[in-house]
Amino acid sequence: MTQKSLLTPSLILMVGLLTICPVFMLVLGSFMDGFGTYEGFTLSKYVTAYTDPGLKDILFNTLIFTLGSASVATILALFLAYMNTRTNIPFKFLFKVISIIPMMIPHILFCVSWALLLNPSNGILNKLLIDIFGLSASPFNIYSLSGMILVEGLLDLPIAYLIIAPAMNSFDVSLEESSKVCGASNLQTLLRITLPVLRPAILASAILVIVRSLASFAVPSVLGIPGRIYVLPTHIYRMISTGFEPDYGQASAIGMSALAASVVLIYLYRYLTKESSRYVTISGRGFKPTLIDLKTYKYPLFTVVGILSFILIILPVIVLLYTSFVPYSMVPSFKAFSMMSLKHWHSVLVDPISLLSLKNSLILGVGGATIGIVLSIFVAYVIVKVRTRAAGVLESLSFLSFSFPGIVIGLGFMWVFVQTPLYGTLWTLLIGYIATYLPYGIRPLSSAFIQIHDSLEESSRVSGAGALTTMRRIVIPLLIPGVVSGWILMATMFVRELTLSVVLSRPGSEVLAVQILRFSEDGMWGQLSALGIIMIGISSSLVIGVTFIGNKFSRIHAS
Amino acid sequence: MEIQIKGLTKLYHSEGKTIKALDDVNLTIGDNTIFTLLGPSGCGKTTLLRSIVGLENPDFGEISIGDEIVWSKEKNIFIPPEKRGLGMVFQTYAIWPHMNVFDNVGYPLQNQGLPKSEIKQRVAETLKLVQLEGFENRPATKLSGGQQQRVALARALVARPKVILFDEPLSNLDAKLREETRKELRTFLCGLGITAIYVTHDRIEALALSDIIAVMRAGKVVEMGSPKKIYFNSDHKFVADFIGRANLIEGTITECTSHHATLKTAIGDIIGINNHHLSVGQNAIMCIRPEFITLAHTQTSHEKNIFKGVMENLVFIGEAYEGDIKIGDTLLTTTIEPTENIHDGSEIFISFSSEYCFIIAS
Repeated sequence: MTQKSLLTPSLILMVGLLTICPVFMLVLGSFMDGFGTYEGFTLSKYVTAYTDPGLKDILFNTLIFTLGSASVATILALFLAYMNTRTNIPFKFLFKVISIIPMMIPHILFCVSWALLLNPSNGILNKLLIDIFGLSASPFNIYSLSGMILVEGLLDLPIAYLIIAPAMNSFDVSLEESSKVCGASNLQTLLRITLPVLRPAILASAILVIVRSLASFAVPSVLGIPGRIYVLPTHIYRMISTGFEPDYGQASAIGMSALAASVVLIYLYRYLTKESSRYVTISGRGFKPTLIDLKTYKYPLFTVVGILSFILIILPVIVLLYTSFVPYSMVPSFKAFSMMSLKHWHSVLVDPISLLSLKNSLILGVGGATIGIVLSIFVAYVIVKVRTRAAGVLESLSFLSFSFPGIVIGLGFMWVFVQTPLYGTLWTLLIGYIATYLPYGIRPLSSAFIQIHDSLEESSRVSGAGALTTMRRIVIPLLIPGVVSGWILMATMFVRELTLSVVLSRPGSEVLAVQILRFSEDGMWGQLSALGIIMIGISSSLVIGVTFIGNKFSRIHAS
Repeated sequence: MEIQIKGLTKLYHSEGKTIKALDDVNLTIGDNTIFTLLGPSGCGKTTLLRSIVGLENPDFGEISIGDEIVWSKEKNIFIPPEKRGLGMVFQTYAIWPHMNVFDNVGYPLQNQGLPKSEIKQRVAETLKLVQLEGFENRPATKLSGGQQQRVALARALVARPKVILFDEPLSNLDAKLREETRKELRTFLCGLGITAIYVTHDRIEALALSDIIAVMRAGKVVEMGSPKKIYFNSDHKFVADFIGRANLIEGTITECTSHHATLKTAIGDIIGINNHHLSVGQNAIMCIRPEFITLAHTQTSHEKNIFKGVMENLVFIGEAYEGDIKIGDTLLTTTIEPTENIHDGSEIFISFSSEYCFIIAS
């Protein structure tokens, strides 16, 4: 009994330290004159940061960038969800692939592959188009605001889809049917009934994408900086990384507005998703909606879906693979293929910093996910099974980090660790990762705990099994799927982590994504691609390996 | 196995208020009976069942199964559920989704540490008993609702428990399957010769299945008896109303004979059974079940309990008509043979036998 009552407060303390502490230190730091000393309260950082004449353009860029990518992602997600749930479009398995696989390709590599294809000086696709049509200049420039919006929109498409598709799926079809009985066409019904009823889900998806793109660092750094288009995260990054004297105070002062905007948006999102569950009526009869026959549009529309999945999944990998073998950026041709070599692979595999970053990322991925998942098991248990008021506090605390932009919270952790011996070690990254990505572990475990209805344990007790046997034969096997998917999510996130790492990583604690960013800044595309392919390989083998172990484990324990 | 419950009380605290989920319950459940706890939701029937199994810790009282005290506040005895040797069918069936049928059913035997060959044989026997022969290797998730219910039953029976408990096991089945399963379950339990405790809020289920019904309300057992006793001769207005459709007419007793009494009511004098020996001058309630109201086309003056009324709200439901008969300002619900030539507004005479209406103290 005493153990149980201690569990919740100690978890609240732990998670609270992880999530509140960096925010607190960030606020404190924004009022400090120097870095690492907590003397001399000053407002000067705010004054300098917010009177910068360049800030107006940055805010404007940020606004256009976030709203633009939210529109791209949400409209595409609506299209895909509608095609999947409501029409007889062929090869529906592709939709599931689209919604899951892109999460496995690290964002920075996705951006790099677009830069390789469409950069104005030697983008492969640009050169190809110049050759074919005899143009005098590159037709596309990915280093532009619209390029950034396109790529960020595609990157956030899976999230938007995962919000909109279930809403579309649980939609009461009789609302549409009665509209058709009243004489409306399919298109009229879509515009006047379906979309308005789905409005909460659409808004929720748009808001979440805005939050994500506000926190996005890969796109603004890989595609924005070369075109001198700065948004808030890259503006902050510029303050702390370039020049002779990084100004952490000023960066924190700017970070405060990104943080505030993000927190407000997330609250709006949570409010809307609460509303939407009330708004969207769920038909209990389980009727399958009658599918709309696309007739002659069937294959043209499928082509659009096909192209989308090609762009999202296959193209980045192909571009990286190709670039890692050719000596310099060139249009695919016989000449290019004859010049292919393992030169870049070799130079990456003997580069000490690349190897170190590989080792560090592996340690962080495997170790961090393991520690993170153990914490998640306890937190999810308290949230789902204990359900006291304190458990509610724990839930809010642990999902708080969802709303923190990575680079800002990285700054916060910087302030936390700067005077500790942990500063500059892998531990800062480990703690930062777990704090920021804790919701990724808690989500699947919460649903696993929800699935273990109390009666499943009770019936085991009545069948003569003690508490330990019940734990071993009923609870643990049923938890395994949640543990596995939580671990995979965390591990893949950690292996590719960029935004926190660019702030916290120091010489000696380099990680893969940061090393890739360095390559990209130096234009070493070949090495970058080789290291990127290795990174994708690690993520994929972690996913496959752990799924396999999990399957085996739960089979052993069930019987 | 006989079950004895003495002074059982369970308190819940929520938002500063204390609710008595069980309020000084005293019960004896006889050996080899099918005993039903019936009541509206929140009456404490499930709490009582869970206390007997050991999944709930009451605050006061004592529970014994056979000669063994399994729970006692005073003597500080708490035998955990796994040591009580009972079988239980849960409302949700609680079939473990990660196991196949064999492991689900064999689980209690595995916990007893029986040899594998014996487990295999007894699981096969039990599955045969519930008509799921050869289902051993079927994954639990590939079962229909009715099959899940049978697996849950097999699991509860496989270890030959002293008592088997049911927590609304039919409420998740559709209406037709529920009716069939109800009949089968009764035959099945009678054949086993086992003590069964059954929780339900469905009065027809309770009447059809039970040897003894205990009707509960607000944490207390209001009344206990055989289905016929509860239906035809309930002691309480609440029970009479809960167990079936009833016309309850208030009045004052004006005359008593040895078994019967006359109640003066708004529609006139009614004669009925006076089992509670209420005396002249007391206020009481006459309970008349709709199916005992019959039509009399003309008034024959020497019979008692004959009234003249007007037919209203007549509905044809296939096996009968249902409707209200308006006598003065009083409406009596009734069912009428489907062959009668009758319609709304018909003036009719009705009669009911004094043997099938009974007087309850108000």
